Amino acid sequence: MTQSKNFGTDFRKNVLFYILTGFFIVLLSQLFRMQIIEHQTFDEKSANNSIKGIVQTPLRGAFYDRNCKVLVSNKPSYTVIITPYNYDHKLNNLLETVLGVEPGYIEDVLQENMIYSKYIPIRVQRDVSFPVISWIEENKEQLPGVNYMVEMERSYSDSIVASQMFGYTKEISPKQLKEGKDYYEMGDFVGNNGIEKTYEKFLRGTKGVKYVLVDSHRKENGRFNNGQNDRESIKGNDLVLSIDEDAQKAAERGFKGFKGALVAIEPQTGEILAFVSSPQYDLNNFTTVTPREVWKNLNTDPDKPLLNRTTMSAYPPGSTFKVLGAIAGLESGVITPQSIINCPGGFYFGRFFKCHGGAHGALNVEHAIEKSCNTFFYQLILRVGLDRWADYARRFGFGKKTGVDISEESRGILPSTEYYNKRYGPKGWTLGFVVSLGIGQGELSVTPMQLAQYVAMIANNGRTKRPHIVKGILDENKKIVPFHFDDIDAHVSQKTMDIVKHGMFLVVNGAGTAGNAKIPGINVAGKTGTAQNPHGKDHAWFMGFAPFENPKIAVAVLVENAGFGATWAAPIAKSVMTAYLNKTHKPVEQKEKNNEGKIVAASIKN
Amino acid sequence: MLRRSRINYQLEDKFDVILFFSAMFLVVIGLLAIYSSTVNHPTASGNFQKQVFWLCISLCLFFATYFANPRLLNYVPIPAYLITLLFLVAVLVIGRKVYGQRCWIDIGPFGFQPSEFSKVATVFLLSFFLSREKTDINTIKDIAIAMAIGLIPVGLILLEPDMGSALIFFSITLVMLFWKGLDIFGIFVVLSPGLVVFASMFGMGPFIAVLVLILLILFYFRKNLFLSASIFVMNLAAGFFFDAVYKVLSPHQKKLIETFVDPNSDPLGSGYNAIQVKVAIGSGGFLGKGFMHGNQTQLRFIPEQWTDFIFCVVGEEFGFIGTVITISLFLALFTRLLKIASFAKEKNEYHSLLVVGILSILFAHFAVNISMNVGLLPIIGIPLPYMSYGGSSLMVNLFMLGVAANIYKNRKQHA
Repeated sequence: MTQSKNFGTDFRKNVLFYILTGFFIVLLSQLFRMQIIEHQTFDEKSANNSIKGIVQTPLRGAFYDRNCKVLVSNKPSYTVIITPYNYDHKLNNLLETVLGVEPGYIEDVLQENMIYSKYIPIRVQRDVSFPVISWIEENKEQLPGVNYMVEMERSYSDSIVASQMFGYTKEISPKQLKEGKDYYEMGDFVGNNGIEKTYEKFLRGTKGVKYVLVDSHRKENGRFNNGQNDRESIKGNDLVLSIDEDAQKAAERGFKGFKGALVAIEPQTGEILAFVSSPQYDLNNFTTVTPREVWKNLNTDPDKPLLNRTTMSAYPPGSTFKVLGAIAGLESGVITPQSIINCPGGFYFGRFFKCHGGAHGALNVEHAIEKSCNTFFYQLILRVGLDRWADYARRFGFGKKTGVDISEESRGILPSTEYYNKRYGPKGWTLGFVVSLGIGQGELSVTPMQLAQYVAMIANNGRTKRPHIVKGILDENKKIVPFHFDDIDAHVSQKTMDIVKHGMFLVVNGAGTAGNAKIPGINVAGKTGTAQNPHGKDHAWFMGFAPFENPKIAVAVLVENAGFGATWAAPIAKSVMTAYLNKTHKPVEQKEKNNEGKIVAASIKN
Repeated sequence: MLRRSRINYQLEDKFDVILFFSAMFLVVIGLLAIYSSTVNHPTASGNFQKQVFWLCISLCLFFATYFANPRLLNYVPIPAYLITLLFLVAVLVIGRKVYGQRCWIDIGPFGFQPSEFSKVATVFLLSFFLSREKTDINTIKDIAIAMAIGLIPVGLILLEPDMGSALIFFSITLVMLFWKGLDIFGIFVVLSPGLVVFASMFGMGPFIAVLVLILLILFYFRKNLFLSASIFVMNLAAGFFFDAVYKVLSPHQKKLIETFVDPNSDPLGSGYNAIQVKVAIGSGGFLGKGFMHGNQTQLRFIPEQWTDFIFCVVGEEFGFIGTVITISLFLALFTRLLKIASFAKEKNEYHSLLVVGILSILFAHFAVNISMNVGLLPIIGIPLPYMSYGGSSLMVNLFMLGVAANIYKNRKQHA
């Protein structure tokens, strides 16, 4: 205790007091040094500090066909960039020679970008070949300020084009930007048409971001917080298409030199197997910025390659619609399968409506389809009545959008009493207008997509699912997560469907108009049609399905300005069916089925 | 010593106005800084409201403590110490991890840090022990007991692991022993292990040098051989103990120690915060950039600025004026506490030790926190009393203020 006496209370209190004030003075001087003396230095450092988030663009989802073959994916493309800050303009000539551009090009590009900071790299040329990149890499020391970066762009399968189906991406428009500002930024690419547009939300993925420290000149000074705040981008979903690469290839080959459209559908599922609008365009022109010339050419081309004819062009369906007349007649009970109508070569109703190929004589409904007799169907639609007929047409998807997963779609025209009243006034039209509808002419117009859905429903006895190109997305384990598609049912009897289908069987295999659609070993049923074209040569239609006994594929074909349907349209359908069925159908089995089919056909004939 | 002439008014006689309002002023500055650093923050934007809520609760606690019968303080030490020890054990088992440290316990929607409460409980028990009649602080036995009271929680806290709190406990124990009347040899005994640990951070050379120095000092005091030998062994053990602790530290904390030894070793890694914090304060200049206008703060260069780096918000946005006012308020608070401790020393040693303990807790937090903000210490996770965001810390700080105010109110009574 003696020593503690030496250190009195006051002493200990004073020690603590001096520690407190001493520390206070140390802090004061340190703060004075930092905030007053060295203020300038810290202020500069602070001004140089700012975080820039660099958006990491995710990879866009790829497209696979129904057999998991890659149709559309991404490929790296090299872009040469120049950072003006440390670029030596003496290099212009050398670079221009290597890049193969005209003299003065680089100076022009640099001038255009003068307004930006000299620390921001400028894109000088996109899609540069690999040898040029290797050259830059090898001579980096001698090329200050010159570099390259890798950007990803769409890469398309060589075997098919499918431009209208795939669609392309395009720089976002101000309107789209306004609507989707929670995700998009200026300069983003969004799906503009086709599948790229419909499934944009799946394909685009999740953006990542990398934070870097930049000074007031936007010069990068390293990563912010050691990259701990960075987010990786997540690739978009891969889509599995129902398209069959071989069928698509066959369809595209068949359309070489023709304008028109084709849709092939698996009748039970509504899955689209082939989807062509001809002429097509080269999607490779749209992978980055599309050159102005290419745009101009595409827009002024009289063949309108940018038009998606599958869903956007609507023409009268011609004789293909006779099948619908037959269904309406049989279902509404105005005729029986045995009812006979005589064809004297035409029909007089106010004026004379001509049949083709002379007089067909007495015909039942099945043979009327086989022979495509106009007289029969002129009279039939009058017996069924316009609105009842239009009701059946609506059940098979006419007069409305099919809802296929391609956003641009026309609904076509399906006349009814209401339609004519609106258009011509209640007294402005006569039953004469209706007679032409019986053979698919007049004001009726349908899209190839609608006709494809219709033939698919016929093939599958009035039922299908909403037609679609995309089956689902691939999950991480490469398993398909399917999308749901609604059922469609026309509510028609099996008996009716058997009769009309057999009529279509005879069109190909009997005395009908489409003998050239026959495929050895497989029974095909079909119907041709011709759309009258007041502006030029008629448009040719063909619709068909195969195998007859158990339809796996239904096809609708439109060939513009080709005249008679069977001549040009049926062979294209045939090649698509062959390409598709050859893989799944063994010809040996087919022969037996073929015989069976004939027997069935014979028995119905009687 | 007591200048009664100063306490003229009834209010000032009963209520320590300087003590209370300097703390309240700090709370307000803290709230402004919390508001500025969180209001535009994506995840912490509600922190200002939460802090105001905790302030209301803490003020109630303050007044409850202030008005309480001072005799109640005698019943606090042992239960409080045991309960907080229990929580320190519990936190190791059921605690929530934040940045690799398991120091939070969740009760319903609230999380609290037991280490905050255990500091106060330790002060209570130490005061209680040291103020006993039979305690002779200059015997090795009582030093050992006092050290044990102060360092048992440290052992548990180091397992969390929370280096900063451990440092605080050590300081508290040292200051209280000193206040009680520890002699110079005792101070050397208590302080030497710390010196050894500090030296060992810099490698084998300094470690051995410090050990040699300790041998020389022991020789100088000429105590008996057994005592000298055991003190030397204790120091040696402390060095190795630190080595063992260093091994269980998270890589994150090891980095902190490494960058303290060599601050430029990793300017974008753990040295990053140290640099950015200094830039924030330095760039504030004399008048500051203005409330809500500090770019370091608003651009969130410094992570969780509303907790341990709240001082640099003040430095950046309110400048030299702001920082000087802040540290002056702290100085006023501390000298006031020292004065209260002195008042009480004659009448009630227990009370006096309590206030010194409270002073040492607050000062240790203040010193460590401000030092790391101005680059005098490495980044250690210690909040700034009354200003940093956090309910547990604010409650404990205002409770301690209440205890000091209570002791001031009753300073003339005998225990």
